[in-house]
Amino acid sequence: MLEAAFDGLLGILTWHSLGMMALGVLIGSLVGFLPGIGGPTTLAIMLPFVMTMQDPYPVIALLVGMDAVGNTASAFPSILISIPGSSGSQATILDGYPLAKQGQAARALSASFAASLLGGFVGAFVLVASLPVLRPLVLTFGSPEFFVLTLWGLTMVAVLSGNAPVKGIIAGIIGVLVATIGMDVKSGIPRFDFDYDYLWDGISLIIVALGLFGIPEIIDLASRKTSIAEHEELGSGFLQGIKDVFRHWWLMVRSSAIGAWVGFLPGLGSSVADWFAYAHAVQTERNTGGFGKGDIRGVIAPEASNNAKEGGGYIPTLAFGIPGSTSTALILTAFVAVGIKPGPDMLTSQLDLTFAVIWTLVIGNVIAVVMCSALAKPMARACFMPFHSIVPLVAVFVFIGAFAANFSVNDLRALLVFSLLGFMMRRHGWPRPPLLLGVVLGTKMETYLWLSYTRYGLEWLLRPAVIILLALVAASLCYPMLKARRERRLAAAEASGEPT
Amino acid sequence: MKMQRYRATILTSILACAVLWAAPATAADYYDGKTIRVLVSSSPGGGTDATARLVSRFLPKFIPGNPKTIVQNMPGGGGTVVNNYYTRRAKPDGLTLLQDSSSALSTYVRGGKRVKFNPRTYSYVGSIMRGGSILMVRKDARKRLTDPKAKPVVVGDSDGIRTWVAMTVWGAKYLGWNNRWIFGYAGTGEMVLALRQGEIEMWGTGNAKLIRDLEKDGVVDPLVLLTDKRRKDFPDIPTFQEMLGDKRPSGVAWQAYKVWAGPSDVDKFLHAPKGTPENVMNILHSAWAKMVKDPDFAKQATKFFGEAWRTRDGAATAKLVLEVTNASREVKDFLFNIRKEHGLPTGKKKK
Repeated sequence: MLEAAFDGLLGILTWHSLGMMALGVLIGSLVGFLPGIGGPTTLAIMLPFVMTMQDPYPVIALLVGMDAVGNTASAFPSILISIPGSSGSQATILDGYPLAKQGQAARALSASFAASLLGGFVGAFVLVASLPVLRPLVLTFGSPEFFVLTLWGLTMVAVLSGNAPVKGIIAGIIGVLVATIGMDVKSGIPRFDFDYDYLWDGISLIIVALGLFGIPEIIDLASRKTSIAEHEELGSGFLQGIKDVFRHWWLMVRSSAIGAWVGFLPGLGSSVADWFAYAHAVQTERNTGGFGKGDIRGVIAPEASNNAKEGGGYIPTLAFGIPGSTSTALILTAFVAVGIKPGPDMLTSQLDLTFAVIWTLVIGNVIAVVMCSALAKPMARACFMPFHSIVPLVAVFVFIGAFAANFSVNDLRALLVFSLLGFMMRRHGWPRPPLLLGVVLGTKMETYLWLSYTRYGLEWLLRPAVIILLALVAASLCYPMLKARRERRLAAAEASGEPT
Repeated sequence: MKMQRYRATILTSILACAVLWAAPATAADYYDGKTIRVLVSSSPGGGTDATARLVSRFLPKFIPGNPKTIVQNMPGGGGTVVNNYYTRRAKPDGLTLLQDSSSALSTYVRGGKRVKFNPRTYSYVGSIMRGGSILMVRKDARKRLTDPKAKPVVVGDSDGIRTWVAMTVWGAKYLGWNNRWIFGYAGTGEMVLALRQGEIEMWGTGNAKLIRDLEKDGVVDPLVLLTDKRRKDFPDIPTFQEMLGDKRPSGVAWQAYKVWAGPSDVDKFLHAPKGTPENVMNILHSAWAKMVKDPDFAKQATKFFGEAWRTRDGAATAKLVLEVTNASREVKDFLFNIRKEHGLPTGKKKK
């Protein structure tokens, strides 16, 4: 095994491979930075060119490098202007952006990069550690387990983001309903399409995210005539952010593990890991009152998980040839073309190539973080510019992001609808994350429930893993009530002067 | 006098320009400096997209003037979204082409008020066929397939209208297979996982690598092939026609099978809008013919699709499309009823 690890490293450390990796990291970062342009599209464009190459190492370096770092640079727009650069950085907004508003953009960015880097390492480590026990693990999750897992994810975020669990649950349900718009593949019948062709495909996730989080912030800031940051201090925040990650190292490790796990489960999707980690942070950390208002832990958790996810995502891809996402599906196509055979061989005769993937995950993350860190200070300074000079730029950024995916004017119309919804929700104190996550998970929830029922009838409810996961759902729902009760009791005890 | 001569010269020049302008486009200059937009009926990733990327890279090399190409994905509704858009908006000038797939033909045959396109009228450039789908059954479920008293063998699919599903339905009706169907899976990855877990027990694909892997791991037995000719890379797998033998139905029942299963034979096809001028189509046809002979193209296509791929020219593609979309009222009714009978989606709302 050590020999294979060394061979893999040597293969990656040639000039050709390193050059390809730098190129991949650059493209991946750029794509992550620009909202709307997704990793899969860029990978699809690269595919025909990559497939002419003969040597597998540069291909691994380029594609895995590109895929590994998409969620690092995407923290820039999430933190600085409240627009998710990629679907993996949505939860980062919740605390990253308030930090930028408090003049701590540099701290938030450096914490996010350090967490990304370490998260990437943990993801790679999980990949190594899981090599011997892969197969039985993947085979334990069927449609019923996936359904309850999505249900759990949604209830956690609904209950925990914001301080209004009931509103959160309603917002989550609305999100799930939005996800039902479009062609139902099971029946071939379009739902809620109101005779518009545009609605057949459903509402694109990026439009919902840009609408709910991008425009409302622009309106808010433009109306206040200030800069994004309310205090003009860049200070020594940069080092502080790195220290924060080490101070909360245990949270970072846990979030990374969650990310790797979500990536490892095929079909859960790339936009879920950050939310799971965020919800986990809110649920398990102490003194959670500052979450959503600029708590650095709210940046560390999602950013660690979204990079760790990539490592986890390669487990089913390499071990079975079952890709966990569109990106890994495309990478798999390229791998096969250059003679890499995903499957059991990756753990035996091609183990050096598996290690090449792991080394690329590690080195690619380092390159990306160095590059982003060099850019962090000049980018963070943008927060101190008066907002009226940035508003047009950011607005253009948002609209291009919405337009770039399909070049459709209808996407811009949909953006306006969701912007209005986001603005109203923000104004009236409704949490927006559950709605977004409802859209992310809605289609999957429906599919998995339908498959569970048509395959197993009601017997799926009796599967052991399902029962355990359902208990977790119930716990998530009861958590705020129990927490409120405990706080009331504590307050009562303090008031009466009794020791607790 | 001088003035008049000038006028005459200018007039002649203008006339000459006008004549040149109006002259029909020659192969050499028609595509010079232009860009061809290649629409794709699926999202990035998967066979149709891969075909589009491959063709858009090689075809321009053989078009005089070497136009640029851009690929634009427009997925949705089994090809309905892009085909409707293309029918309504694309000009027949050879600058917008559509990389389409068999599911658009299935959607067209199934019909419904959303379908506002007619693949029978398009101008076909050519098609690439990757080798027909092979139906597989899990080893532990194989015996139950022919035992009517056992638990039915679970067939899994994404939407229940894939071409290979036709075999499972006709198998149930004419060979007495003991099947039931579940559908709704998001993609191939999910279905392969479900097959390995035993959540589904019967599934089909044309992807040789997937079939070999599943077979090697002892999960499945490849059972039967969709297309009429045996595959070179799976010479022992019988075709469905061979398996039916004398139980093969005739008349409407067989025409309905051909209409459901046939589009898979067309597979991935490239076309220009209805009414594209002959001289433009000639340029595209000639480029296609040269492209498929290019060794570089062949090498890349083998990387993308495996060994079994082959191509058809525009005329042969058009002929085949007419054949597999030739669905009379009776054929459509038969399809509707057999789908309903087996609990598969019919595309119509329940009343």
